[in-house]
Amino acid sequence: MSENNGKSDIISLTKVGKSFWRGKERLDVLKELDLTMKEGSFEALMGPSGSGKSTLLNLIAGLDVPTSGSLKVAGSELSQMTEGDRAGFRAANIGFVFQTYNLMPVLTALENVELPLLLTNLPAAERKKRAETALKLVGLGERMGHYPRQLSGGQEQRVTIARAIVTDPKIIVADEPTGDLDRESANDILNLLGRLNTELGKTIVMVTHDPAAAERATVCHRLDKGALAL
Amino acid sequence: MTLFGIAARNIGRNKLRTSLTVAVVAIATLFFIMLRTVVWSWTSASEFAAKDRIATRHKVSFVMQLPKRYAEEIAQMPGVTAVCYANWFGGKDPKNENDFFATIATDPASLLKVYPEIKTSEAQKEAWIADRQGALIGDSLAKKKGWKVGDKITLAGSIFPGNWDFNISGIYTTTTTNVDRATVWFHWDYLNESLPERSKDKVGWIVSNISDPGASGRISKAVDAKFDERDLQTITMSEAALNQSFLGMFSAILKAIDLVSIVMIAIMGLIVGNTIAMGVRERTNEYGVLRAIGFLPKHVAQFVLGEALVIGIVGGVVGLALGYPFVNLGVGRFLEENMGQMFPQFRVQPMIALMAFGLAIGLAIVAAILPARKAASLQVVESLRRVG
Amino acid sequence: MIPISYNVRSLMVRKTTTFATAGGIALVVFVMAAAMMLSAGVKKTMVAGGRPDNAIVTRKGSGAELSSSIENNAVSLILAAPGVKKDEAGAPLGSGETVVVIAQEKLGGVAGQVSNVLVRGVPDNVLKVRPDVHIISGRPAKPGTDECIIGKNLVGNYAGMNLGEKFDLKKNRPVEVVGVFEAGGSSFESEVWASLETARSSFGREGLVSSVTVRLESPAAFDRFKATIETDKQLLLEAERETTYYEKQSQATAIFVSVLGWVIVVFCMFGATLGAMNTMFAAVAQRKREVGTLRALGFSKFNILTSFVVESVVLAVIGGLVGLVASLLLTFAHVSLMNQASWSEITFTFAATPNILIGAIVAGCGMGIIGGFLPAMKAAGTSPIEAMRG
Repeated sequence: MSENNGKSDIISLTKVGKSFWRGKERLDVLKELDLTMKEGSFEALMGPSGSGKSTLLNLIAGLDVPTSGSLKVAGSELSQMTEGDRAGFRAANIGFVFQTYNLMPVLTALENVELPLLLTNLPAAERKKRAETALKLVGLGERMGHYPRQLSGGQEQRVTIARAIVTDPKIIVADEPTGDLDRESANDILNLLGRLNTELGKTIVMVTHDPAAAERATVCHRLDKGALAL
Repeated sequence: MTLFGIAARNIGRNKLRTSLTVAVVAIATLFFIMLRTVVWSWTSASEFAAKDRIATRHKVSFVMQLPKRYAEEIAQMPGVTAVCYANWFGGKDPKNENDFFATIATDPASLLKVYPEIKTSEAQKEAWIADRQGALIGDSLAKKKGWKVGDKITLAGSIFPGNWDFNISGIYTTTTTNVDRATVWFHWDYLNESLPERSKDKVGWIVSNISDPGASGRISKAVDAKFDERDLQTITMSEAALNQSFLGMFSAILKAIDLVSIVMIAIMGLIVGNTIAMGVRERTNEYGVLRAIGFLPKHVAQFVLGEALVIGIVGGVVGLALGYPFVNLGVGRFLEENMGQMFPQFRVQPMIALMAFGLAIGLAIVAAILPARKAASLQVVESLRRVG
Repeated sequence: MIPISYNVRSLMVRKTTTFATAGGIALVVFVMAAAMMLSAGVKKTMVAGGRPDNAIVTRKGSGAELSSSIENNAVSLILAAPGVKKDEAGAPLGSGETVVVIAQEKLGGVAGQVSNVLVRGVPDNVLKVRPDVHIISGRPAKPGTDECIIGKNLVGNYAGMNLGEKFDLKKNRPVEVVGVFEAGGSSFESEVWASLETARSSFGREGLVSSVTVRLESPAAFDRFKATIETDKQLLLEAERETTYYEKQSQATAIFVSVLGWVIVVFCMFGATLGAMNTMFAAVAQRKREVGTLRALGFSKFNILTSFVVESVVLAVIGGLVGLVASLLLTFAHVSLMNQASWSEITFTFAATPNILIGAIVAGCGMGIIGGFLPAMKAAGTSPIEAMRG
């Protein structure tokens, strides 16, 4: 199903189901989902608590595997991959922005951004250069040597975003990125994400409660009880 | 920036906890050094035993005596180059009865020949040999008692009753730890002439120098065979074997010390392991983020182990830094002077220091294995779940 | 006052940490109790051999039986001294004994390893003077023969020391073990008892004894007995109550064990207390919000302080009890140590006295209080609002 501006599907789910077992009880969190996302799109996933939106995000990001169905992301069939392979997949293709606990307190902003590059073969000097570039891009060129405790919530999230793009992944996955922030900082972050989408062509998949955040997205999906609401 | 570098920095997160844990490792290291030094000091005498000396005693009992004539007969045997005999006197300082030191009656000239480790000035040697009432005192004992050459001292006899006067002819020191520096050596003749007829001319033990150290076994057997038919039989063995035999009598204590070392290691392991585990539990989310970014379970394990390693190294270094002065300048001095019989030398040996350091590190790592495995086996999604 | 159940539940929630910390304290208390019990055991074994109404006479200045020798003719003088009890036939209850240590090969250890065993040459009436000694297998030695009886602690530990076996006291002078005796847990149980004549002639001590033990008419008769014995300038003897004598004999060993034990314990206590402190600091940090809630509900800083100290103490006491119970298992064990004064190997047991048990628990509590105090102070200083925000 590829059309519209000549862009192809970067994410496609076919009859994807995800179940968890709590003791003997089986919980079907996602039920036979069919979903596609185009490359370069800014997608929002919304829904009440327990609707399965975070679970869906985890599947797309390669953090978890579906119980049934097929899941193709950035050209890889994730449902067949081992945990080790998925780790490599994530390192190459996904950038992460979580709500909290993103940064390592013992590392400076620059070092935190450098972290994903440790998984590559790049020499130290090159790693530093790329990290600096990413930090400047998010507007924190002046704070490279600061520790997370010396940064505000909004600045911390910006560092997180810098880290998310430093390996130049195709997809940025964000789980409630503005959840802990005040209105003004939240706007800054959303603006930044928007720029990554429009200027750098990154595909963004974002889970959010916030209607204002959802408005920035080009596509909005609603989930209810593990199925897409129409 | 490396994984190990980050792990090392992690110890700075909670300085209080790290300090306490490092303190525990340091204490355990210090304690280990002390215990092993006690054992080493105690057993070292047997390592420095002279290879060319054999000792002969009464076959049945350490406290029974042999005829002096045996010494003369042994001196005639092939392979024996010099012989000396001695009696345990068991004297006490009347001013301080609880003070224990050895008092031994011997033949001065042959003692110094058979024990070249005992060193004194030529003048003092001559003076001692010439004075029947003379005594040669160990420098450690002399220092403790404040005795000097020329002093007259009186010792109370326990086995041989009465007060016995001696003139301090000389003070000796030793070149090895094998011979202790707290003995009062005096003339066997002085003792013998005061004994009743039926107790005369007896010796407690006989020490012989042999020309060929490799023949000590053969010569020992020959000595015992010679006296086997007599009324009073002997048992002869190399000095090393004799020292080992004495040590063996204290085997229970040495075993207890070993056991305690193990217990200490266990305590330390529990505490360090607990600290690491607490850290792991608190950083679950962080490990989750690392896994999400693409780090593998083994990387997470390396983090945990790296942190433990640094704690082990720092703790080990602190323990050594405390250990050297504590043992060499503090406890060691005290023991050498006051319990010189048992602990002729009490110093930190390089081997022990190395072992202690290795132990600190090794144990920190072992203690961290379980927490590391736990951290590595965490499911990514579980770790990311927000807590609280 | 915050209920203790809160503390107990909190401890149960973090099971692993609780067990690890309590485990460390258990080990420390175990080691401490073991050292103290061995020291008490040494004293108990030595003193068990003595009766307050027995007196032991040795040569003046000898310090121990092993170094002492008393002429035969002095023995009858000693037995005639005032205060000595007479038996039903009118003879004085006393025994002159000769004591020697022999080097016997130990079984079950390094080949050829010897240890010193104390051999006591005893007269035929010895069991009257020492009625606490009972033959538990075999029979008493026949007077005037080369038979001997051995204390139960020797059985099977040395070459030749078993019922029916023989060992040499002197060349061509073997003694046969015809009986095994127990002696109320005293050091006699590590001795060989042969007839006085056999011992004297084997060791060339004809005409001499090492010591004379007498039964007094009553413990109070001791002073007069002692005065009489010690005033004789010819004989140069000294008399001591048997209980005092044996206590002195054990002193060096008991002190040695104590000192070694205490050094070990101090180190271990340091380590375990720091461990407890670590655990409590972590607990305080983890429960910041809880503490804030408690404060908001109205509990005072002092309440919080005591609550956390109590928690630390509960933790320590749990560990302490486990360690203590484990140490009680030691009472079934035996340790053979070289006793300094008698220069012979004696088997000691671990004696659990009430003082030790209480002392161990107190030490455990102490570690809990000291370890928990600083963290508790920190918890108490938590402001409710800050805590709930965090």
